[in-house]
Amino acid sequence: MRGWAVHGRDGTVLRPLVALVVSAVFFVPLYFVLVNVFKPGPEIASNPAAFPLPPTLDNIVALLTRSDRLFWASLVNSVLVTALSVVVLIVFSAMLGHYVARSRSGWVRWLTLVLLSGLMIPPQVILLPITRVLRLFDLMATMQGLILFNVGYYVPFGVFVFTGFLRQVPRELEEAAAIDGASRMQIFWKIVFPLLRPASASVMIFLGVWIWNDFLNPLIILGPGKGTTITTGIYRAIGQYQADFGQVFALMFMATLPVLIFYLLLQKDFVKGLTGGATKG
Amino acid sequence: MEEGILTGRRIWHFATFAGPGLLAYGCFVLAPIVLSVGYSLTNYNPLRPSTRFVGFENYAALVTDQQFLASLRVTTIMTLIVVIVPNVVGLAVAVMLDRRGALYNALRSVFFTPMVLSSVVVSVIWTRLLASDGLVNQVLGWFGVTEPPGWLSDPNLALYSLSSVICWQMLGFCVVVYLAGLQGVPQELQEAAAIDGAGPLLRFREVTWPLLAPALTINTVVLLISAFKIFDHVQVITNGGPGTGTTATVAFTVLQTGFVANRQGYASAMAIVMLVIIAVASALVLKVLQRREVQL
Repeated sequence: MRGWAVHGRDGTVLRPLVALVVSAVFFVPLYFVLVNVFKPGPEIASNPAAFPLPPTLDNIVALLTRSDRLFWASLVNSVLVTALSVVVLIVFSAMLGHYVARSRSGWVRWLTLVLLSGLMIPPQVILLPITRVLRLFDLMATMQGLILFNVGYYVPFGVFVFTGFLRQVPRELEEAAAIDGASRMQIFWKIVFPLLRPASASVMIFLGVWIWNDFLNPLIILGPGKGTTITTGIYRAIGQYQADFGQVFALMFMATLPVLIFYLLLQKDFVKGLTGGATKG
Repeated sequence: MEEGILTGRRIWHFATFAGPGLLAYGCFVLAPIVLSVGYSLTNYNPLRPSTRFVGFENYAALVTDQQFLASLRVTTIMTLIVVIVPNVVGLAVAVMLDRRGALYNALRSVFFTPMVLSSVVVSVIWTRLLASDGLVNQVLGWFGVTEPPGWLSDPNLALYSLSSVICWQMLGFCVVVYLAGLQGVPQELQEAAAIDGAGPLLRFREVTWPLLAPALTINTVVLLISAFKIFDHVQVITNGGPGTGTTATVAFTVLQTGFVANRQGYASAMAIVMLVIIAVASALVLKVLQRREVQL
């Protein structure tokens, strides 16, 4: 039986082999970055596929010690924008989601519809007027402006996740606390919000990765020269240093490392969040 | 008196819980859409102060604007490729990886990784890979191809090269969703069908595929919405070229017209048309696919 299984027509040998080859081909672009980060500049052009022997840290060192501090400045901006946007988004959308999920009035259904339609609105449709709205508040080309925009633009996603989650949390806990005389705010922060932890994790993971990777919004809102995030920093680097791809690869590697570590640590939650609806429909 | 206190409480509840989120959404999404509609009826151009109301002139001009029509064509082709290819290939990869074990877990990570990469990073990688002296053409050279294609410089090819890059990045999403769908297929159903003498292909068609209907719906709608607003890859890889408008999507053309050419009224009309198309297309696709789910 065993011997049959090894040579079986169901591909007991074939399947891992095919899977390995297909994945290897798919992996080539990632391999390409990884090896070239640790290779001296001239070799990147002449021999892009070769393994870096001996590996060098020159590209990374050169990037970290750049006189215009492109990497460090971009990193600080990206961390600030991502962290602050995500924290505000979790608070705002948890509260709004709670309001929507617990309200019994009819117009809230309309409100939900208006909010959810925000999930498909492309940024291109709103960015032209956004620059005017931000100028009105004197927030154009500032981090605060970008953070506020992120909050408004991504709040529908947060509300979508939190309301979905809250529908499975029984109301009785809250009602009992209300009878005991606790205020709505106390009930929300002391009882409801701790229960929402899995939903908060989902929102943090997705919005964290999206906002970190955002290119168009920081490009337009921060504008040229007014500070870069990691992504607009890469874009600027390919414009400036067309020849020095060693440094560009190092920048891409360092820019992706935090997200990659974050993602590998939370891979299970990430996949779970993505597939919540895939099996239920 | 009692009632007054109750209404007051309701308003307070609304203001404190729903207020902050709605205010941000209103200021940065709803108001801009309304403003966009307003702009689209004017000849607004920040460099030329005399803004006036022009009615539907911008919309009328769009119908004969070769640049805009070309961008619609580019977006349509790109959207078709990006909706179909990752769906089909993603399903095949998911079926291939639908096994337990460390090997398959590791291979899944390979396919998921591009999902967390910035599209700028993906674009720069592929720009290098597809350059005329890039890795792809070097490999072709090993196989004796002396005149390799200009993946990004040939106007007839660039759109397809660009679409392939986007497919590469989106594939992981489809794989995740299909894998979850596959894990939801009850083993007993498969076994029952096998006992009845159904081969693997027939089992897939009659048992697995119908149960994957929700996964197909999610993938198609998400890919459709994402494909429609593709901007980053165009901006970084081809900047709309080679030549004029061979890879300029609607999303790209809106921003070029608005921020580079400063024709903001006209660009707003484009943006509104884009919004209407995306809303109608996704509602239509969702309706068709969900009806199919019910029938299955």
